[in-house]
Amino acid sequence: MTTLVVARWTVAEAVSRRLVLAAILLSAAFVGLFALAFSILYDRAEADPGGDALFAVFAATLLTVLGLYAVQFLAAFLALLLSAGAISGEVESGTLHAVLARPLGRGQYLLGRWIASVALLTVYVVAMAGSLLLVARLVAGYQPVDPVRAVALLVLETVLLLTAGLLGSTFLPTLANAVVLFSLFGLAWLAGIVEFIGQTVANQTLANLGIAVSLVFPSDAVWRAASYYLQPPAFLGEAVTRGGIPFAALTPPTTALLLWALAYPVATLLLALRTFARRDL
Amino acid sequence: MAPRAGPPAAPALELTGVRKAYGQQVALDDVTLRVEPGEVFGFLGPNGAGKTTAVKILTGLVHAGDGEARVLGRPVGEPAARRRIGYLPEHFRFQDWATGTALLEFHARLAGLPAGQRPARIAEVLELVGLAGRGRQRIRTYSKGMAQRIGLAQALLGRPELVLLDEPTSALDPVGRREVRDLIGRLREQGVTVFLNSHLLSEVELVCDRVAIIDRGRIVRTGRLADLVGSVTAVRVALDRVDQPLLDALGRYGRVQSVDGGSVVLVVDDVDVAPAVADCVVRAGYRLFELVPVQRSLEEVFLGLVHGGDR
Repeated sequence: MTTLVVARWTVAEAVSRRLVLAAILLSAAFVGLFALAFSILYDRAEADPGGDALFAVFAATLLTVLGLYAVQFLAAFLALLLSAGAISGEVESGTLHAVLARPLGRGQYLLGRWIASVALLTVYVVAMAGSLLLVARLVAGYQPVDPVRAVALLVLETVLLLTAGLLGSTFLPTLANAVVLFSLFGLAWLAGIVEFIGQTVANQTLANLGIAVSLVFPSDAVWRAASYYLQPPAFLGEAVTRGGIPFAALTPPTTALLLWALAYPVATLLLALRTFARRDL
Repeated sequence: MAPRAGPPAAPALELTGVRKAYGQQVALDDVTLRVEPGEVFGFLGPNGAGKTTAVKILTGLVHAGDGEARVLGRPVGEPAARRRIGYLPEHFRFQDWATGTALLEFHARLAGLPAGQRPARIAEVLELVGLAGRGRQRIRTYSKGMAQRIGLAQALLGRPELVLLDEPTSALDPVGRREVRDLIGRLREQGVTVFLNSHLLSEVELVCDRVAIIDRGRIVRTGRLADLVGSVTAVRVALDRVDQPLLDALGRYGRVQSVDGGSVVLVVDDVDVAPAVADCVVRAGYRLFELVPVQRSLEEVFLGLVHGGDR
């Protein structure tokens, strides 16, 4: 009950700070731009006399995956910005003192903030990814392997980042936390590319390096899992021989990865509850 | 006012052997303190003496390293212990994107105030702190004094049994300070326990029943205000002349603290020696104009305690 009071308060803050309004306006602009670019480029690809039957599918896939890749980045930044100072910022400004002197546990406060942020980000990811996939479907009849699973994994990635950010904000100053988070996110992204190259040139060391980093911070690995379900079967079949998109996976995620990606936010959330409970404010 | 009769209730707050260090820096060292229900208690000390740390331990914001802290009969770690507590933090910073009313609504929910009572109670506390009609304004637009007032409103919102005020008048002008004093007086009439952190001695002197003086993490004196300021007394002796034989003679009755023209302040253990002092100087041939007991002010007691001794 108290947790929900905190969650409501967090949403009220996002609305009051015009965060929600800005996100809605910019997202509408983003989706509009995507729809325009997608239809122009897809029409040209379809009309290209030199292209084979699969060329239009390739074009549609590339555009859609690229668009969702951008959504993934936007959602990731939003998650990190929302969480980097979620606790530390309030500790630094002193606004938390009066609140936590109320009869609520620190865990309830942290969970309330987490629930609200997850809700806001889920709405954002579902609306953005859903809009892009809808545009692709309407314009090009685009049929990915499993759009629901893809969007669910995108949400999971955002939650993973958000929870890691919340953990950091329970013991690091806001700026330091932001630096750590963006570095980890960037490192995971780079590791994903390294792993892709390792697989392409059949170098096991490179591939292992990528996997190791993904274990430490699986944000990019979860994106890759999502990306598999974003591509149509026809494209995937061809891409295995012709080579795929560097930032998208050609094989479905392993069960081990999915379990790890689910366990990661749970573990970081538990750790965040623990460090926050012990902290002196 | 007579002390309350009846069976001894649990103390409103209790610190037992509390110690807190931040790394090498000792903030509180073996602090033991007990405040009874209905008392207005002043916690005095210079800046950095550990006053805020003590209040933060009592509100569960800081964990005591050693010792035990209880409020309203429960250990501070339990959220339920904070159900009947009102707290005004030292820096009184609140979520400035919210309006005053929205902030109070949030705190009313957290405090568990029933939905039906919230609007009336919020209007009531706004009125109480002099912010009637300003509730719809965003806190961002408040002056510092208004922010401190909304903090007081927040502290009083849940009809607390114990109110912890950390420097509640630091941002207020003399009129505002007077209003807060009156407010504390009204809380006393309602039987609410008030724990007042302050370095403003005049403020404490005017409202508190008992005080504790803390210096560098240690409590150096606790007691009723009347006993504390009355415990060390002096007499002022005004004469036609002051010379060394006179000072030697006075030295037998007490310690000469200051000499100003024909006036000597003599610190004595017991003010009952005054007639003997009078006899002595008259017999020695001095003309006595005045001999009055002087009560030391809280400020003098305070300065003697926090600057004296080992410093």
